[in-house]
Amino acid sequence: MRFGVALALSGLTLAAQTPAVSSPTSNSIGMEFIRIEPGTMQVGMFHPDCENGGGGRGRGGPPADPRMIWDDADRAACEAQTKAERSDGFPVAIKKAYLIGKTEVTQGQWKAVMRTNPSLFQADRVPNPDNHPVESVTWQDTQAFVKALNAKERTRAYRLPTEFEWEYACRAGGLGQQTWTEIRAQAVLGLGLAGRGGGGRGAVSTAPGSEPLPPETPAQYTARTGMTNEVGSKTANAWGVHDMLGNVWEWVADPYNGKIFPDPTPPKSGSVHVLKGGGFASDVKNAICATHGFGPGDPFAVGFRIVKDLP
Amino acid sequence: MRSYSVVLALCLAAGSASIDIPAGFTRIFDGKTTRGWHFSGTVHHGTTGIATVTKDGTLQLVQQPFGQGGLFITDKTYKNFELYLEVKVPFATNSGIFLRSTEGGSAYQIELVQGGATGALIGELLRLSQGIPAPDLTNIWKTDEFNAIQVRMEGDAPHVTIWINGVKTGEVQEPRNDQIGGVVGGHIGLQLHWLDTYEPRNVSGGGMSNAMKPGHPLEFRNIAIKELP
Repeated sequence: MRFGVALALSGLTLAAQTPAVSSPTSNSIGMEFIRIEPGTMQVGMFHPDCENGGGGRGRGGPPADPRMIWDDADRAACEAQTKAERSDGFPVAIKKAYLIGKTEVTQGQWKAVMRTNPSLFQADRVPNPDNHPVESVTWQDTQAFVKALNAKERTRAYRLPTEFEWEYACRAGGLGQQTWTEIRAQAVLGLGLAGRGGGGRGAVSTAPGSEPLPPETPAQYTARTGMTNEVGSKTANAWGVHDMLGNVWEWVADPYNGKIFPDPTPPKSGSVHVLKGGGFASDVKNAICATHGFGPGDPFAVGFRIVKDLP
Repeated sequence: MRSYSVVLALCLAAGSASIDIPAGFTRIFDGKTTRGWHFSGTVHHGTTGIATVTKDGTLQLVQQPFGQGGLFITDKTYKNFELYLEVKVPFATNSGIFLRSTEGGSAYQIELVQGGATGALIGELLRLSQGIPAPDLTNIWKTDEFNAIQVRMEGDAPHVTIWINGVKTGEVQEPRNDQIGGVVGGHIGLQLHWLDTYEPRNVSGGGMSNAMKPGHPLEFRNIAIKELP
């Protein structure tokens, strides 16, 4: 059951920051950055309810069995649990302006720095791979890239964003969670196929089976089964940043804390790191700024963007 | 079909405390711990579900927090195999068996919805060439009891056969491999479907009805596999 429910905010005091839009700056490898101004956001808001439970309709199945419908005890149990788990989260202050990549790091940018390309979706599979996000990178790989870029430009300004910096730039001053309509306008989802970026789940096809089919080229196979899209192919968010949601999951600096949301003070160490934003094979449900995923993820859908500290 | 009689015999015992698995299969859930399994960190169903093992060797999966489930997958990956397991799915709960799943949950899926489309083969975050429609399980499915599911999956363009309580309920020869990137193989996964979003009132899509009934865990036992060449 799906609901079209009007935006209803809970009365929380949330500062909707709207930095002045500035022209993107670029660096030695043509990477563009958006300046993000200081401000605050609310992290970890969790407001589940029981309105969606026990309606009795299955997805695509036979007519509902009456035993699917919740009784009073089921609803009471849900109400008690969700009341206990409800949280308004905590405020996070971003105290210093920073530059964040306008898009995910591309294969072309990766090659310009590292002289290699670990990505799956290269020229045999997609027509313009240099504009696709680099993927199949581990968190350690991102550190090597940052180190090499800093060395190339004789600076120490480049690094992965913290989770809070990433989420702040993703939310772009928005209150709470975006609607699925907004997300689909901004995110490469639905397996990333041309014209199908709206978050389709890849359900059963009506294509005939059993008959032998002619061989496919890697490009034909990829177009049929899913791929990243070129960066910047969807609408930017309110602060002009592209692909924060969808296309590839993005590594951030923080180790994973083992919880559904980050803690106000992130862990200082840990071998598993946080992934944000969802990828082309994700569902719209978790392609949201708040999603606090963790590695390894699917290599073909894991990339990153970087920030640059201001002097 | 060669395992039909074995499975049928097992199923006659299902509902009682069945502790056996088909001959030639190896347990991939030891009945005591969750060793060899983990929750996906990127699937949309959730990443913080709870997996516990009861004293009688049953794996129980529960959403935590409510509305957020997960995908409980094997550490190991499999290509060609026969999988056997027994599952108890409460009414108003949505689950599935993921086959050749990626870490993030792109997979062939056998749907498990008691009173719904149990036994259908669908694609989860995977564009399936040819599915298997939901079978008529009248006189096959045992309501609110453990039911035995067996599936054989073999070939790059996989041939998939499904038995429920010893009865063949579906079979398909896929015309092509449908896995992202041309991979063949992946994890076995047990789906604990999401029900709600973090801030439901802000989301035009709403939630997923019948994904989890409060206080009624999903239960699996006797999970075993036979790898094929």
